[in-house]
Amino acid sequence: MSHTEQQNLNQKILEKIIKQLNLAPGDIEYSKKPKNVVLITPDYLPRTISDISLQSKQLAESLVHKGINTHVVTFDPWKVGFSDELAGVNVHYIGNSIKSYSPLTWAITTGMEIGKAVADIYHKEGQIDLIHAHEWSMFPAGLNLQAAMRKPLFVNYYSLQEQRTPGINNNFTEAVKQIEWRGSKLSDRIIVNEEWMKNELLKFYSPPEKKVNVVDPTNINWTKDIARDYSWVMKNWEKWRYNERIQTTQ
Amino acid sequence: MKILHLTWEYPPNKIGGLATHVESLAKAQAKDGITPIVVTCAYSGNHGFEEKDGVKIYRFDADNIPAEDFPSWALQMNTLMANQASEILNDNDDVAMIHAHDWLVSTAAITLKHIYRKPLIVTIHSMELGRRGGIYDDRQKLIHDLEGRLVFESWKTICCSHYMKDAICSAFGVSWDKVEVIPNGVCEEGLETTHDLNEVKAQYALPHEKIVFFVGRHVWEKGLDVLMGAVPEVLEKNPDAKFIIAGRGYTTDKCRQMAYDFGFADKVAFTGFIEDGVMNALYKVSDVVAVPSRYEPFGIVALEAMAAETPVVVADTGGLSEIIEQEKDGIKVWPNHSESLSWGINRVLLDTGLADYIRKNAKEKIKNMYTWSVVSKNTNELYGRISEEYKNADWKAVKFVSANQ
Repeated sequence: MSHTEQQNLNQKILEKIIKQLNLAPGDIEYSKKPKNVVLITPDYLPRTISDISLQSKQLAESLVHKGINTHVVTFDPWKVGFSDELAGVNVHYIGNSIKSYSPLTWAITTGMEIGKAVADIYHKEGQIDLIHAHEWSMFPAGLNLQAAMRKPLFVNYYSLQEQRTPGINNNFTEAVKQIEWRGSKLSDRIIVNEEWMKNELLKFYSPPEKKVNVVDPTNINWTKDIARDYSWVMKNWEKWRYNERIQTTQ
Repeated sequence: MKILHLTWEYPPNKIGGLATHVESLAKAQAKDGITPIVVTCAYSGNHGFEEKDGVKIYRFDADNIPAEDFPSWALQMNTLMANQASEILNDNDDVAMIHAHDWLVSTAAITLKHIYRKPLIVTIHSMELGRRGGIYDDRQKLIHDLEGRLVFESWKTICCSHYMKDAICSAFGVSWDKVEVIPNGVCEEGLETTHDLNEVKAQYALPHEKIVFFVGRHVWEKGLDVLMGAVPEVLEKNPDAKFIIAGRGYTTDKCRQMAYDFGFADKVAFTGFIEDGVMNALYKVSDVVAVPSRYEPFGIVALEAMAAETPVVVADTGGLSEIIEQEKDGIKVWPNHSESLSWGINRVLLDTGLADYIRKNAKEKIKNMYTWSVVSKNTNELYGRISEEYKNADWKAVKFVSANQ
């Protein structure tokens, strides 16, 4: 028996044991972990605009500890075009030279820069297994990359437009809400920080409940939960197939 | 060779001249053995796939995009366009290059270029800098920046005149050899009309009146106010002249007021928007077509008039300067100068021999230089050159993206 055949057999035995023991999908954590993950985030430590900065850094470094090659593409006007390795994480800084007069125009023009940066990573690495977009402003880029690369997309909601501007319904807020809605509809997995956010998300955008995972970043092992989720989606992704998923979500 | 055209408008969804341009080019390319694939916005919810005249058209739903303003709508439309185009590119590995038309598809085009590492060809039909005579606010700056970025990212940029090439190179600081001039074409079959010419004329003028025709958007750069300023001097020498003004815009009211204030309102007919058949009939019954633009990247109206065998009087600016040879196939006058314009119009109206000479030469010029088959041939030659350069370049996709699923 060749080495590959032996590995396949081991995998089948492992899956059978997992099934017989009735374990949760996430418990087969390392059976299908992604090799290359790209996190796209509006800020990343030391540049801090919001909590996203710290959370994305903790997540990225934790993924590196788990043996996942992790790239972070983030906005930093002072380091445009520069790439660095911080605690094993490959951080790529992008800027935006287009005059963006609103958060909406900024999100989409920055999305173009993110697309370019992620494409360059892809062509260098030869493979990207999963994309994780943090906050609505990163969703347009994430959705474009998901459609083009046919790879799983995770989206992180830290807040919703309805919460940020309650009761205000103008063209800008409606546009952001539509982006948030598209993110919830087309992504493969949704991460929120607390149960309350999950309920709010279900109330406003009605994604399938099983698609939403609550991961509390104050827990010690919160990054492990996300890594498990990655593995679970990676495992199922191959079964779902892109077109089938699109048909069911439309 | 498969070419992916990105355009925000495509017939029957026509907002400006872009739709007609892309349709005419794509149809001519299909005849030349190219497979044009067009990705564009749907009209009235009619999204989906259609194959027409050898052109594969994919329309995506862009109806219900909430947005603060037009640029913000266009940017959001781009994310939907990129998704639609990705599906096509994933299913058609042999698409040779992406051809983007104007800033309206910029972010989609640039994103797709980098993901698929296909050469990007850009056609700049006009520039924000010229459309408004400067950059004055944030929205204009956004558009101007996107135009510049699109040109920067392109393998080659196509424009329709040397005037535009000069403007692009100086505005965005790109090298001279990156920009190619391919003049637009005119579709002679598109100028046919089923309307009775006498009936159309009778709607706006008396049988003995000589028609001076203007068609275009009533905006600053089209110079309708310059034409209004020329009316008194034309009427002085040609009392039978009648001015027919087609189109609409933010200067319509001002120009209408000028006609009343200067006492020649009965000699000027504002038609508003007119359908193509009526427009073509008016080209044919007119004695002269005036194109008094202040800014004109090309000047398709002049070509249409020439194809309809009507003498043109144009402002000596932009692409118009390059199309017209003075007193051979048209009359050139000083731009933004009513007195000069009235001289040009009178010159044609008073000298029927010259008018006939201009008609004959103009028609000949259109046949030889400004047909869509010529445009298609020049564009396809450019594709061929780019294809060769791309083959020898290091910049390529590591492997096809969708094969990595």
